[in-house]
Amino acid sequence: MSLAQRQYQIRELFPEQTVFFCYSGYMTEGILGGLGQAIKQKLAQEQADTNTTNTVFSIFVEQMQNVIRYSAEREPLESTDEGVLSHGTLTLGRDAAGYFVICGNKISRDRVEALHAQLSAIQQLDRTGLKSMYKQILKGEIPEGSKGAGVGFVDIAKRASQPIEFDFYPLDERFAFFALKAVI
Amino acid sequence: METIRIHATDRSPEIEFHFAENRFLISGESYPEDGPLFFTPLLASLATHVQQMSAGSLTFDLRLIYYNSVTARFLVQLFSLLDSSAKRGVQVQIYWHYASDDDNMQEMGEEFGEELEAATFHMCPEEP
Repeated sequence: MSLAQRQYQIRELFPEQTVFFCYSGYMTEGILGGLGQAIKQKLAQEQADTNTTNTVFSIFVEQMQNVIRYSAEREPLESTDEGVLSHGTLTLGRDAAGYFVICGNKISRDRVEALHAQLSAIQQLDRTGLKSMYKQILKGEIPEGSKGAGVGFVDIAKRASQPIEFDFYPLDERFAFFALKAVI
Repeated sequence: METIRIHATDRSPEIEFHFAENRFLISGESYPEDGPLFFTPLLASLATHVQQMSAGSLTFDLRLIYYNSVTARFLVQLFSLLDSSAKRGVQVQIYWHYASDDDNMQEMGEEFGEELEAATFHMCPEEP
């Protein structure tokens, strides 16, 4: 198979009318900023209304920041003191159900159970329940193990127009792949 | 305390803290690369300032286009700080400016406003 053919096959997995982009690789705050600008431009071209644009954009930011902070696949980055490079994937597009944002990253298998429980609880809440959980977390202390507000998943679920979807794919003894989808 | 002025970037808001006049502004996009690094010193300066106040008035304008959940956490702390100075007798006026077609910003403002017991919270819809 030729180089171009192989590359085209990868591209064919993501038809342009459905997938605006699919990024797979190291994720940094700089990449978040750049992709964010591209999303805003694309939504402006599509003449999406303010509410839709803001919702898609905010779910994208929370998803990316989750991967940057929590992916188990990371490398030390020599050039800065604090830096690690997190690896993950992010897909954004539109299908019959609406706009969607899907992120995926490796997590340690010993985190699967807790994350599953946390996300199942969020998944079952209605909007009123999500709003009250969001407030509670914001007012309380940062949950253990959280590097951000500890409220990103609730924020995503609160803004999405359908319950969040998620699952886990076991990779080996140490790691599983985690994916989360939000529809707007 | 000296005035704090920080220019906006694509990802972090403009800050104007005029301590001498008790006039404060946060305006723009807010999803800084490192939220705690950006907000913690600001909140600390404000806390030092308002803790000395037990009378007088204070105006806080927020004109946010978008903010992430890390910023939301700091807003909660900010409003709680302002509300406690209002309970001590400071006249606190908070103005929540938002684009009138932005339902989410409106809802967020309403929710922040409901939590306040002593500070006055004004919803200020603006033409986009």
